Amino acid sequence: MWKWKKDKGNEFPKQNETVKDVTKSLEQSKDFMVYPLDGKTKCVLSYFETMVEPKVLNQLILPALKQNALQSLEEMKDVIPVEGLAITDDANLYRQRMMQGHVIIQMKEYDKKFLTIPAVIAEHRKVSIPEVEFSVVGPKEAFVESLDTNINLVRKRLTLPQLTVKELNIGKMTKTRVAVLYVDGVANKENINTVMQRLNDIEYDQINDSSYITQMIADNSNSPFPQLLDTERPDRVTGSLVEGKVVIIVDGSPHALSCPTTIVEFFSASDDYFLPWHLASGFRLIRLFAVIFSVISTPVYVAILTYHHEMIPQDLLATIVSSRADIPFPPILEVIILELTIELLREAGARLPTKVGQTIGIVGGIVIGTAAVEAGLTSNVLLIIVALGALASFTTPVYQIGNTIRLLRFPFLIGAQMWGLVGVSIVMAFFIAHLIKLKSIGRPFFSPIYPLRFHDLKDAFIRLPFNKQSMRPIQTRPVDSARFNQKRANEKRDVDE
Amino acid sequence: MNDAKGGFNVPENLMVTSTMTFFLVHSMQVGVGMLGFEKYIAEGAGYDAWISILVAGIAVHLLLWMIYRLLQDCGGDLVSIHNFLFGKYLGGLLNLVFSVYFLLLSLTVLRTFVEVIQVWVFPQLNVWLFALVYLLLAYYFVIGGLRVITGMCLLSVMLGLPLLFFKFFPLQIGDVNNLYPMIDASVSEILSSAKTSTLSFLGFELLLLFYPFIKDQKASKKWAHFGVFYTTMIYLVSAIVAFIYYNEDQLQHITWATISLWKIVDFPFLQRFEYMGIGLWAYVVLPNICLGLWAASRIPKRMFKIKQKYVLWLYLVILLVISSLIDNRRTIDALNTFTNQVGFYFLLYIPVLFILMFIMKKVRYRHGI
Repeated sequence: MWKWKKDKGNEFPKQNETVKDVTKSLEQSKDFMVYPLDGKTKCVLSYFETMVEPKVLNQLILPALKQNALQSLEEMKDVIPVEGLAITDDANLYRQRMMQGHVIIQMKEYDKKFLTIPAVIAEHRKVSIPEVEFSVVGPKEAFVESLDTNINLVRKRLTLPQLTVKELNIGKMTKTRVAVLYVDGVANKENINTVMQRLNDIEYDQINDSSYITQMIADNSNSPFPQLLDTERPDRVTGSLVEGKVVIIVDGSPHALSCPTTIVEFFSASDDYFLPWHLASGFRLIRLFAVIFSVISTPVYVAILTYHHEMIPQDLLATIVSSRADIPFPPILEVIILELTIELLREAGARLPTKVGQTIGIVGGIVIGTAAVEAGLTSNVLLIIVALGALASFTTPVYQIGNTIRLLRFPFLIGAQMWGLVGVSIVMAFFIAHLIKLKSIGRPFFSPIYPLRFHDLKDAFIRLPFNKQSMRPIQTRPVDSARFNQKRANEKRDVDE
Repeated sequence: MNDAKGGFNVPENLMVTSTMTFFLVHSMQVGVGMLGFEKYIAEGAGYDAWISILVAGIAVHLLLWMIYRLLQDCGGDLVSIHNFLFGKYLGGLLNLVFSVYFLLLSLTVLRTFVEVIQVWVFPQLNVWLFALVYLLLAYYFVIGGLRVITGMCLLSVMLGLPLLFFKFFPLQIGDVNNLYPMIDASVSEILSSAKTSTLSFLGFELLLLFYPFIKDQKASKKWAHFGVFYTTMIYLVSAIVAFIYYNEDQLQHITWATISLWKIVDFPFLQRFEYMGIGLWAYVVLPNICLGLWAASRIPKRMFKIKQKYVLWLYLVILLVISSLIDNRRTIDALNTFTNQVGFYFLLYIPVLFILMFIMKKVRYRHGI
């Protein structure tokens, strides 16, 4: 964070400024107010009009100053009924406090010593229901852009003295507040240190969202897979914290990041814990299958129709041949046209306002699809496969991995076109190699699969009932790994006892 | 024994758990050999060849036991054993021979797999391009170190499991009487078949190199044996299924019995399963090539102060060039037979090493060293 301090060459903002320098530079802004107060108390007030809550200024600060004859800053500090006042002569702090929406009082203009009064406008969105990770059952709170509100949402759910919040400022210009949360005594020290270290090492001018942090502290920034799980649900964050994970919340971002994470975690929804375990496991498997289908369905179509049509049974072959009879393109071109159309629709839908987006969906899905088939540009069968694949890719509970899956199928298409099913296998093997190598905050990303961890498999592809989840995931290497005593849980009652 | 040369003390974060020995040993043994070994072993002992598999399996267990004794006594890997027994120069030469041997294993597996694809899927396959992509894939694995390769071993065993299930299809329409009369072959015939099956069992001797990477070496022993046992059982089942489905004369005309048997698999949405089977087999073959390359390039790293990366590049180029040059079935057959022979002698070398070690220990003990 402070690395830039070391090279004096391009300091921004400048060091060793005096209060006067700062005031001079601030005066260039229109909303910066400096005015002397001539009443019982003689002093100078300065603040940013756009940052300060008028109520605090008009109803608390000014009456206190006008009604009493105050001779020093210390007296003011005693009188003004606002908490968090401070008197200092640090020019650096002068600028910082001013930017954070404090009202600053000096006895004379450009005086070194000053009093800061926090009076920032607390303007932010109300806590609303989660939209990206919606669930029918379960809590319906989602994070907002305010860091304090977000931490409050977590603390309310996890009333634990061990819940520790560390805070730092990142971004040379934005000085964004970033909080690191963990449960002391459960979370592994190594994980916490890695996260803190990486956050501290960030050297960039702006942090506009938590996704900046994701990309900056990721173990492999060239990977298409997100290595930190981002969520907008406080209950999910609480769950992560209890499992011994480290959570990063960035001011101004409604998404918290939790790490270390694994690939299977991206396919688990919070619903999985609200439903009975067999249903939850079933849905989770469906989701996993959907993702695999979404990635390899069109490549397999290309592979089979281009090279291995013998694989299709005779009856099915008739259906496919009749639907493809008039198509002038080879399968690969047909697939690419349709896949690109779907991506186009999706991208347009994501950029447009909701209501227009729906129209686009209908126009694109029905009109273009039907027209393309009727015009003989694509086959019905492929249209079904592509549409299903697109639908399946929406089942991912975490939005970030959905983006990855969207583009993942294109390398597979190349492989399929080159060497059929063998090509698909080879591309898959490349991804497997990548996933095995990938780490999340130094912990293996492909975890319960490799390194094989039987304990963690209890909550991976399926979710076993809570009375079987006696251990916190080994993947995070928690200091205290026991959730409850499995032995006692296993004690069974005999008949009629 | 302390080894002065670098690369011996394996840091813990690069190690693999003892359970993984099972996957390492097993996946290195099962390769392309399995796709067509039935014909070759049936040449000697006829349909009693399944006994040969058991015999070979037991022999491999014995050899594995010896390897473990060697490694435990010497406390290192192949390179340190050789240095201990033969000194720097002769030992170094033997090490290099082993390096070339592991490269040969990789080459045989790679070229035979490409041959399978040529025969079954793409007769017009561009061999060098395919070999290049496949070797790049192998490079991507090997560069990640043994841990990453082990991951692929694990996944290859998992992905290979459903293929075993498909043995059930030919079994339904086969004829058990093909196996009778049982135990008709002579001992020498059975032994000769067992020798022919060497190629299918090769690969467990790589333990000589990855042994220092195992976390709990004592516990790994049972997993290694379990791995060999599992391999033997898979071969046994494969052979018996092939023998039940084909009669003895028919089998002699079938080069790839296992693939041919996949043809029988039939689902309402899928016929000619062999295309998919070969696609999945890419995963079974991959650990072979990766482990072979890893071991081959590790030996020079252990001997000289040279980066494994550079050796790996060299070996990749060698593999690419040779596999592109081999262009007909007869050469590939000869390559397989050659590897089989060589592999057999390398296996014979293990007991020699074991006895030498035994004598050496006795002598040194007597001289109080």
